[in-house]
Amino acid sequence: MVIKIEHKWGMVVDLDKCTGCNGCVVACQAENNLPINTKDLFMQKRAFEWIRIERYWEGEFPNVKARYLPVMCQHCGNAPCEPVCPVYATYHNDQGLNVQVYNRCVGTRYCINNCTYQVRFFNFWEPTWPERLQNQLNPDVTVRTRGITEKCTFCVQRIRRAEITVERRERTKLNDKTMAARNFMPACVQACPTNALMFGDQNNQEDKIHGYFEELHNHEGHSDSRGYRILEEIGTDPSVIYLKKVDQFKMEHSESHG
Amino acid sequence: MAELKTLNHHYKDMWVFPDADDLAGLPAKATSIGINKLLLWLTLILTAIGVVGFVMRASADGLNDYEPWGYYMAAFSFVFMVTAPAPLVSVAFRLIRSHWRRPLTRIAEIFALVGIVNFVLYIPLMLMIPEIANPNGAGHHSLDIRRTLWIQVPWGAPHFWETMAMLSLPVMSCLILLLSATPDMSASIQFVSGIKKKFYMLVAGYWKGSKRQWLVMQAAIGALGGLYFLTLPFVQFLISTDFGMSLIAGWKDSIFPAIYTLMGFQTSLAAILIVLYIFRRWGGFENFIGASQFWSASKILLGLSLLWIYHMFAFFITFWYGRMEVEQNILNYLYVDSWFWIFIINALGSWLIPFLILVWNPVRRADWGAPLAAVFVLIGALMFNIRIFVGAFNAGREQIYDISITFVPDAVGPDIWDLCMVIGIIGLACLVYLIGLRIFPVMNIWEIKEGAMYQKMGRLFRGNYLVLAKPE
Amino acid sequence: MQEGRVLPPEQINKDLLNSIMSTPKWYWPAVGICSLIVLIAATIVGYMINKGLGITGLNRPVMWGFFITNFVFWIGISHAGVMLSAILRLAKAEWRRPASRAAEVLTIFSLMTAMTMPIIHTGRPWRSLYWFFPYDFARGIFPNIRSPLVWDPSAILTYLTSSVLFVFIALIPDFAILRDNTTGLRKKIYTALSMGWQGNARQWKLQIVAGILLSALILPVFVSVHSIVSWDFGMAVSVKAWHSTVFAPYFVVGAVHSGVSAVIFVLILLRQAYGWQDYIRREHVEALCRLLIVVSTGWFYYFCMEIIFGIYGREADEVAIRTLQFTLYPWNWIMIIFIVTTYFLPILLWSRKVWRRNLLIVSIACISVNIGMWLERYILFVPGQINKQLFTFTWANYTPTIFEGIIVLGTFALVTLLLLLFSKVMPLIPLYDIKEGDILKTEVQIGRRTVPATFRED
Repeated sequence: MVIKIEHKWGMVVDLDKCTGCNGCVVACQAENNLPINTKDLFMQKRAFEWIRIERYWEGEFPNVKARYLPVMCQHCGNAPCEPVCPVYATYHNDQGLNVQVYNRCVGTRYCINNCTYQVRFFNFWEPTWPERLQNQLNPDVTVRTRGITEKCTFCVQRIRRAEITVERRERTKLNDKTMAARNFMPACVQACPTNALMFGDQNNQEDKIHGYFEELHNHEGHSDSRGYRILEEIGTDPSVIYLKKVDQFKMEHSESHG
Repeated sequence: MAELKTLNHHYKDMWVFPDADDLAGLPAKATSIGINKLLLWLTLILTAIGVVGFVMRASADGLNDYEPWGYYMAAFSFVFMVTAPAPLVSVAFRLIRSHWRRPLTRIAEIFALVGIVNFVLYIPLMLMIPEIANPNGAGHHSLDIRRTLWIQVPWGAPHFWETMAMLSLPVMSCLILLLSATPDMSASIQFVSGIKKKFYMLVAGYWKGSKRQWLVMQAAIGALGGLYFLTLPFVQFLISTDFGMSLIAGWKDSIFPAIYTLMGFQTSLAAILIVLYIFRRWGGFENFIGASQFWSASKILLGLSLLWIYHMFAFFITFWYGRMEVEQNILNYLYVDSWFWIFIINALGSWLIPFLILVWNPVRRADWGAPLAAVFVLIGALMFNIRIFVGAFNAGREQIYDISITFVPDAVGPDIWDLCMVIGIIGLACLVYLIGLRIFPVMNIWEIKEGAMYQKMGRLFRGNYLVLAKPE
Repeated sequence: MQEGRVLPPEQINKDLLNSIMSTPKWYWPAVGICSLIVLIAATIVGYMINKGLGITGLNRPVMWGFFITNFVFWIGISHAGVMLSAILRLAKAEWRRPASRAAEVLTIFSLMTAMTMPIIHTGRPWRSLYWFFPYDFARGIFPNIRSPLVWDPSAILTYLTSSVLFVFIALIPDFAILRDNTTGLRKKIYTALSMGWQGNARQWKLQIVAGILLSALILPVFVSVHSIVSWDFGMAVSVKAWHSTVFAPYFVVGAVHSGVSAVIFVLILLRQAYGWQDYIRREHVEALCRLLIVVSTGWFYYFCMEIIFGIYGREADEVAIRTLQFTLYPWNWIMIIFIVTTYFLPILLWSRKVWRRNLLIVSIACISVNIGMWLERYILFVPGQINKQLFTFTWANYTPTIFEGIIVLGTFALVTLLLLLFSKVMPLIPLYDIKEGDILKTEVQIGRRTVPATFRED
């Protein structure tokens, strides 16, 4: 039986456009009710960043370049985190999203261990907000409790809202055109000042990101295009494509360190 | 003794070692077994066929390219797998002081002579092994040094060190054989004649049987056995990785050498049991080889068969669950796709059929149970070697320097010369073993005599039972 | 010459039941100290459940630390029971007799202790039923059988059940002796436990058949438990150091190594504490040590395989993990201590017969093995998480907190406490097994020497 997948959400990250401004990180923080990353939380290495900008230095001073790599949940088609959850708290939904059921999670943290990209987060403490930020919380997103795992959802609440709106307004069954017409996007994409992040539907022929996925699948990574997926050799089949940075001036030697 | 028989109908099964009358005739009997001339000729002809096959293969394809030599490698590895651990089987059981080992130790030790064959067969393979360093240098999808256990390519790697390792095995095992046979040769000098007598005089002429000589002999066997015990898994590790795993790009499997070693012990025990059965059934040694040997050995064979599937499953589930592309390709190639039927025969022979045969107590008590299972074990092991080594040799020369194998190669069947070589190599091993049986006393006379001293019948409540002493 | 005296059955009863019939001076203080430590640890567990796992040293890359290490350690200890009683029973090794009960009981208690570890280490322990109870709880979702974490409880609970049965069947004849030697309420309890045992031929036959059957049936469970625990790690593709095919046999052999060492240590303690010199003899200790030489060498082989194939691939991420394990502080020291204490020191101490018969030296070796095996699990699990991927950005160290340390200490106290309490109510050396061994014992005269011998059981 072939299950027809109507939507398969995906993202394209153009590293050539990324300036490492961390706007996406802040937007995500605000949209998804992430706990405030205090200094303590950072020092304990327990900070929450559903999307993070990894910064690497290439070369030796003064001939040095900063490289930025925004990493969010890759919504792998073949996610290592999914089969290892004993309680089905994480599973693959029919829109290609890797979703986390907070209510189901018991916090074994096996999924975090088995996540290749380190994008799953565990609530070590009860999340708290200062009094004046209580009203800032997004009503569409669950406030998580301590002891569970959470991660980037591709802002599933926005996808749901778009679906509901489409259903209500146009009184039609969902289809590509109408969903595409809603022009919704995750908070990080919306916030990106350089449009380095692109969000869309891999299955929609007319979507702007469709071409990148088409190219990647057709050429099996051997093409001359800039597209690649990180840590693909593990066989995770991620839904996020990165576009290589184009160097105006080549480095004499390239050696990266963190 | 006769009254004991009437008292206890289990008497015949329980008595482990022969009585004094039988023992007195043992030296003469053990040195004068008549090997069927037909058998010798047969193995000689098989060997000749193998030589023809080898010459034809070498003249057609040369010795530089390893790819056409898969079946040669498989046959070599099969013979190596079966024969190399055999001396260790006897050493190990001697170490844990099992009484039932006594009639089979010499049969096991004579396999040491086949070790020389192993070394000779190994030489052409050593020439074929491809360069470890990539002649083209590292590329987009290839490595500068291919994945082997020689991480930094030390001097002489791999040819010199592997040859040394291969050479050390027959040297040590033949020494064990000579040492352990010395008292028996000394005891049976009077029963042999001609060149054999001269050989016996040469090896065992000094033997007086003083306490000091016994202690030195046993200590030497113990030390050599310990050394052999340390060396053998290492050599098996070298052979199995350098000629198997490292020829398939990206195959990184830490349990594979362990499976190879495990199968070594399994097949060695199987081969010993088959020879033991032939001796008991047709060789006239039924007084010396009791059902007790098969009863005890069959439990170990059963355990090894179960360990085989356990190790195999540990490998399989790790590769299967991980779902990495390279691991899927290797699984598909060696297990579920290309070599599927060979794998099925291998699994049936190495695990399922022996398990189903040996799981029954009456079958294990009977003398035919374990040897029957042993035949399947040997068939399974041959299939294992074909699957792994023909598989590795035919995975494609172009991919060995790659990071990982990106396709599933096809299985390759043997051609006529391959078949000739497989038959010839097995024939050669049999021939050398038969010659060994003609040279050395085939039963370990001193151990059997020692065992006979340790047993008596004792009375416990209302029954008579066998008493076995456990010397410290 | 036979090393042990053959004692009359009455004497055996009296000697071996003295742990139940009388109370040594050190007993209640020992119970008190252990209870105190267990209480402190339990308090900290309560605090942790109340506050969250933040009080541990776990952080983002290192999600499994001391608790999981300790879990695997205790699962490992639990493998001694079946090794000593089932395998050696099937192999008909005479020297297993005094060790079997202590080993089985240690199995049960260490399994129970081990099971607490993964539960308290979850984020929401009160919801653990979703995890290991095979029921859909009105949500229509059963536990995910694809997850190794679901294989775990099934294997462990099966093992626990069969081990309890195994111990109970072996205890029935001893309960009957206790029933005959006690009065009052205790007599009533022992009467119920002995299940009408009269010691007639049919009952003995049933008891022996049940024991042998259980020995054979428990073997696959025994192997599967630690294999499955190892697959918790082996299945994880994303932690390079864990994804190794050799893990299952490597863990099982390591478990037997540490478990049998622990049993030897317990036996030596019992011998000293209760004066059981005639039952736990030096020959038994020596035979167990000889077994351990073989087991530990097998373990070392698997260890070498694991390490060699760690660097075999020469992949940058895996090499980074091995570099951390072998060369960087503090892992290099842990590595050295672990290798020395697990293999080289014990092998040295067991190498000579005189040393194998010296109880102090053997105790040192056995403790050393268990220190090493604890560190082995630690060094196997944690560095792989510290340097998980090529992305150096997310690397972070792990420093356990004092709370984790106390909880780990508490598990040791818990097992000791349970053993102490058990010794008060049930015999820790099987009485009937010792008597059977005495009956089967005999001698053979060879020339001028008398060699110990046994009647063959089959």
